[in-house]
Amino acid sequence: MSKQVNLTIDNQAVTAAEGALIVDAAKKVGINIPVFCYHPKLEPAGMCRMCLVEIGRPVIDRATGAPVMEGGKPKLQFGPKLETSCTTPVSEGMVVITNSEKVKAARKDVVEFLLTSHPLDCPVCDKGGECPLQNLTLAHGPATSRFLFNEKNHNAKHVPLGDLIYLDRERCIQCGRCVRFQEKIAGDPVIGFYNRGRQMEIVTFSEPGFDSYFSGNTTDICPVGALTSADFRFGARPWEMKATASICTHCAVGCNLAFNVRREVGGKNGSPSKGGIVIKRALPRQNEAVNELWICDKGRFAYQYSESPTRLATPLVRKDGELTPASWDVALEYAAEGLLGESKPGQAKDLLVIGSGRLANEDLFTLRKLAEGAGGQAALYSQSGGGDLLAQVGAAPGTNLASLGKGSVILVVASDLHEEAPIWFLRVKQAAERGATLIVAAGRPTRLDRYAKYVIRYAYGEEAQIVAALGDSPRRAELVEAAKPAAAAKPAAAAKLVEAAKPAAAAKTVEAAKPAAAARLVEAAEAFGKAENALVFFGSDGLGQSGAQSVAQACAQLLAATRHVGRPNNGLIPVWGRANEQGGWELGLKAANLQTALQASTTAYIVAADPYGDDPSLPAPSFLVVQELFLTETARRADVVFPAQAFTERDGSFTSGERRVQRYYPATPALADCRPDYAISAELGQHLGLKLEGRSAAAIFAQIATEIPAYKGLTYRRLAETTNATAIGAAKDPRDAEERRCADLYYSGAGYENTQGLGVQLPLQTLSPALSKPAAAPAAQLSKTGLLAVPVTQLYDLGQTVLPSALLRQRIGEAWVGVNPADAAEAGIEAGAAPAAIVQVVLPGKPEWRAAARIDERTPRGVLLIPRSMGLPLNAPLPGASIRPVVRRDSQEAASQQPA
Amino acid sequence: MAEHILLRHRDIPNIDRLEVYRQQGGFEAFQKAVASLTPDAVTDIVKASGLRGRGGAGFPTGMKWSFTDRKNWPHYVVCNADESEPGTFKDREILTGNPFQLLEGVAIASYAVGARVAYIYLRGEFWPIARELDKRIAELEAAGLLGDKLFGTEYSLRIYTHLGAGAYICGEETALLESIEGKLGQPRLRPPFPPAVGLFGKPTVINNTETLANVPLILQRGAEWFRSFGTEKSPGVKIFSLSGCVNRPGNYELPLGTTFRELIMGRGGGIAYGHKIKAIMPAGNSSSLIVATDEALNTPMDYESVPKLGAQLGSASVIVIDDSVDIPWLINKTVHFFRHESCGKCTPCREGTYWMSQLTERIAAGHATAEDVALLKAVAGQIKGKCFCALGEFSIEAVLSGMDRFKDDFEAKVSSYE
Amino acid sequence: MPDVLRGVKIAATAVREVARGLNMTFRSMFEKPVTISYPEEKRPVRARFRGRHDLNRYENGLEKCIGCALCAAACPADAIFVEAGENTDEQRFSPGERYARVYEINMLRCIFCGYCEDACPTEAIVLGDNYELSFTDRRNAIYTKEMLLKPVPAGGQPTPQTTPPGVYTRSVPAMNNPSD
Repeated sequence: MSKQVNLTIDNQAVTAAEGALIVDAAKKVGINIPVFCYHPKLEPAGMCRMCLVEIGRPVIDRATGAPVMEGGKPKLQFGPKLETSCTTPVSEGMVVITNSEKVKAARKDVVEFLLTSHPLDCPVCDKGGECPLQNLTLAHGPATSRFLFNEKNHNAKHVPLGDLIYLDRERCIQCGRCVRFQEKIAGDPVIGFYNRGRQMEIVTFSEPGFDSYFSGNTTDICPVGALTSADFRFGARPWEMKATASICTHCAVGCNLAFNVRREVGGKNGSPSKGGIVIKRALPRQNEAVNELWICDKGRFAYQYSESPTRLATPLVRKDGELTPASWDVALEYAAEGLLGESKPGQAKDLLVIGSGRLANEDLFTLRKLAEGAGGQAALYSQSGGGDLLAQVGAAPGTNLASLGKGSVILVVASDLHEEAPIWFLRVKQAAERGATLIVAAGRPTRLDRYAKYVIRYAYGEEAQIVAALGDSPRRAELVEAAKPAAAAKPAAAAKLVEAAKPAAAAKTVEAAKPAAAARLVEAAEAFGKAENALVFFGSDGLGQSGAQSVAQACAQLLAATRHVGRPNNGLIPVWGRANEQGGWELGLKAANLQTALQASTTAYIVAADPYGDDPSLPAPSFLVVQELFLTETARRADVVFPAQAFTERDGSFTSGERRVQRYYPATPALADCRPDYAISAELGQHLGLKLEGRSAAAIFAQIATEIPAYKGLTYRRLAETTNATAIGAAKDPRDAEERRCADLYYSGAGYENTQGLGVQLPLQTLSPALSKPAAAPAAQLSKTGLLAVPVTQLYDLGQTVLPSALLRQRIGEAWVGVNPADAAEAGIEAGAAPAAIVQVVLPGKPEWRAAARIDERTPRGVLLIPRSMGLPLNAPLPGASIRPVVRRDSQEAASQQPA
Repeated sequence: MAEHILLRHRDIPNIDRLEVYRQQGGFEAFQKAVASLTPDAVTDIVKASGLRGRGGAGFPTGMKWSFTDRKNWPHYVVCNADESEPGTFKDREILTGNPFQLLEGVAIASYAVGARVAYIYLRGEFWPIARELDKRIAELEAAGLLGDKLFGTEYSLRIYTHLGAGAYICGEETALLESIEGKLGQPRLRPPFPPAVGLFGKPTVINNTETLANVPLILQRGAEWFRSFGTEKSPGVKIFSLSGCVNRPGNYELPLGTTFRELIMGRGGGIAYGHKIKAIMPAGNSSSLIVATDEALNTPMDYESVPKLGAQLGSASVIVIDDSVDIPWLINKTVHFFRHESCGKCTPCREGTYWMSQLTERIAAGHATAEDVALLKAVAGQIKGKCFCALGEFSIEAVLSGMDRFKDDFEAKVSSYE
Repeated sequence: MPDVLRGVKIAATAVREVARGLNMTFRSMFEKPVTISYPEEKRPVRARFRGRHDLNRYENGLEKCIGCALCAAACPADAIFVEAGENTDEQRFSPGERYARVYEINMLRCIFCGYCEDACPTEAIVLGDNYELSFTDRRNAIYTKEMLLKPVPAGGQPTPQTTPPGVYTRSVPAMNNPSD
């Protein structure tokens, strides 16, 4: 624990950590110093001058170093001027006065200054009602204006900074929170100040404008209504909306969200509401262990799929070859009959049940129960693998990326975190900036490289070997084993022993021709071995199911060998593509090879997955039941389609990649006749002759808690517990209106406070001996013929959950394929063409696909990067690919129009 | 008349040529320092001389050099030649007339703080001077007076010029550093101060052009010689930039402690067109107005005496105002300058200067009431003591002192309207 | 006193009283009646009468309502519902960026307190003279924006209008003197 300092603020004795700022120390004892430019998550700037206070410091006698005493008290020296409490750290014996007449006058003066250039158009401002400037004007500002209204500046009020964020230049008070957020937190400095004085304004200098995955957060931290999101512009007044807690479903981070809803006559985006409840906006909900105060733009804007007019509204049954609407009873009856076939009630042996990570824990559990009861097989729909290892080597309870710093190592393997899990990117980046050693091992340069101490490149296919080399498995494990008894008694000595065993062998496992890379690998391995804490992220960059499985295996062995298991801030974190893939693994569902699994079954029940959309060549079962939100490719082939509720319409729980179980709540009423997934499955089970719980998510969760050991003792009530111990700037008592108003200074949004649950991390099982034993890493199995097509992830893709969002759709861009310039030249593709050349991508056994060539040196030689869910279904690396140039259609047309 | 120390080109023709400068003992001091003195010894000599910063604050130069953080390397030296204060034109004359003395000063300062790279930051409008300086730096490198392994030692030094883009704020030392780093010219939070964390996050010494130009002769002729000029607490000579309503405006190099009367009536040849002196602005636009009484005129110009008149010596750019000048008009001009040059970082300066300019405009035009005058005073008072940097605080010096000391001018404006 | 005299006195009083009464009767026969034959005839309301709401327009026909929903916030009966939309110069309903896409008042809930009028920053909503509010269906009690808006004044254009860019940039009309 850092050194504590004693000081006095407004006659209250305060103890604060050395280096803490006065404004934070005061907040701790309930003294709210007004601020505009300060934000507890950002570097202090001291620009707005709102937080001025009187500061007295004890006079120190230079000769003795002791404080000079005067009348039995230390003599204080107050500065001639007021000082900013947001930039001044606390010091021993300091006396701070925040409520003197001088300070009050200063606040009044600063507010008056700010208002001279403010348009005062609160009636039409989206921030009105949750605006720090409004609140602080009421609390500290002057009652009347001495500034002549017609001498005000008039600036542009409608400046799109990009497709997502709009700027009102008049309202801006030049506090720079947004600029500092983009630069320091997001690492994406695409906006900045331009010009000076009163003309100083926010500009964007990226193409397209404000090109950042984190742009929406600037609207939250903006203390006025200068930055507004295109999603919520003029949507509603803050006091008209209710907040519902939810969890983001787009990746494995499990960001805590709050949906703001209200009843409306006319919906938005063309969806008719006619008096229904609609979601007006999604806001981050503070969870210091998961997403702090931030969410990415996908989480903020992509919820709109739940309101899409193309949602399925009634059950469909195939009649005369056509899917036709039917009642629930008819559909369930028909489905049960089809699934049972010839078998006895309660038995449907050839049934294959597939569920995806989009489903809640409760749904997946019910699916497994159904499959087991019927005697069939349940599979998790996943393109990744290795989830079964996480019960032993996953992130241990108490893991928090925010507590990683010096002495910690973070290893990121096969993942472009910025695209796959933006919030983890942001938090890993910040941990690296705090001093954690970041090792990035990837097949191509990623955005995280610039924060990494060690960047390790491998050829696609060699991921697991590289991870194994990092562990230097055989020798290191031996040494660690040998050091074990000593480790308990003398950790320092053990560390020395490990250190002495420099992993020389590691270097040999990679190509000896690259001495620099090998040396880097050795250094990285050493750093990893010595680290106090180590977290490993593994993703899906260029990996398929089996590849991910072996990478996960190698990572698990590395962690076990270096004994980075079972302690907080240690373990393996999978970067799954869906919110609850971890839940699927925990609840006993496994990723299966669908080709063989579907071949072996005659009937299938597919829930919240689109396998035929991802791979049209999969064998078709004779009877197919699909449960979905949309009429997907798979649903089109179904015999019965059940319309399910979206996550915004029901409750449930997800298990995140960090194995945190978090609960979400219904925000809107269900669409038409849709039912929650668990209820449909349970009813289907009843029709099959099984007894399944399907009355409520809570009842199923209670069952999970009794049957699944990892979830033992968990209840919905425990998931809903909160503590504000880690929250910075949170209201001490959220029920107190005054406190809430002050919390607004930092939050300025209604949805930030987490009063609905922080979630619980699952405990780990004991490490199985098999993992501690080093195993040889499997050799690369990829043949070297042709180009190697590898799947990579792009945040905004053509997925069902992104497309319905009108805002994000415009950011997706066209389908692309990453090509190395040398490969492009060989294929006769012109580099540097604008617009980019269109190429035909030919993969063995896949439909033909055209995409714009991104010719980039950063793409490794001999590799084609194929983005997932952008039109070409590719689930695993595939050799033997080729590309050939295609004349762009528009230029072709232009050419044909010209007279010969 | 005694020989010039800083404006030596006035005594010695062609001293802006390297051979002439070397004939006058140029670069001997630098060579002596590098070859035979330790950096601390050089700093001690400058400390002993009592040289104080000529940029305005008057901070002891040797002290500043000794504050550099010895645990954090490399160090940088930056010469502040962003001479943007209206009424100040002393650095320009040094840069054009006696450039080698400045360059030698920069070199000696760099050696004293262990910097191997030094920057000379010039205001954007000085681009022809920067071009000339670049040529001269190249000459020095060719002559082996700058560059690697100087005078057979391990010490290397490079000097670069850097042009600003026309911003008053970049004369503020931390904004200047931001500007060199390629960022928006806005002052930085202090502490940490530049000698601890400065350019590119490294310890940096920033000195005014005139300050550094003093250094070579201090080393050459000794601290005692330097102390023979000026006063006890403000030793040395100072270039006074005299402008305004005088017969002979220009730069005058005089010992510190010379009286206003000597400068204005003596060297400056008195007030033009038979007018009477009314007020003095001793530090350019950012200074308070001094009522030109006999007592004020007899005050010696040094860092201790001028504050007794309720003003600062600052950069010693003395603007003389005679009785033909309307003080509200003058204040309107100064406030407009500060409004135009406010960087916009902190609220009081950004909004306050704008508000004041609206008011002074009305007052100067004679369209204002007594309430407007009272409001101007209130607004200026609101800015006071709240700004992020000193430049914001300067914006109200003339306003408050002018309204205080020349009440009649304002009352006349108001009553003629009412 | 003799009885005769008393009888005469009584009779005289009776005659006098009857005459007075008849006088009043005959007089009022020729007076203007105080009742009016509503609904053919209507009585003018007082200056401060609070009747059905009107949504005002500017002289050029643009709506004064900017969809700020402050009336809805002020309404003690929760009778007002507002949904805002964004103006463009091609499709402009009101000055500034924001307009009321949906504006509804439930007259069954309204208590005619006039708080909405007080809250309005643009003097768009005023309680008018109309007191003839009767419905046979609860749904008809909801007055929409079209029903509440005043007709376009002579010389004005109906909304939405196409307006030149950069003219109608402010929602709240500029005040020369904020104390007005």
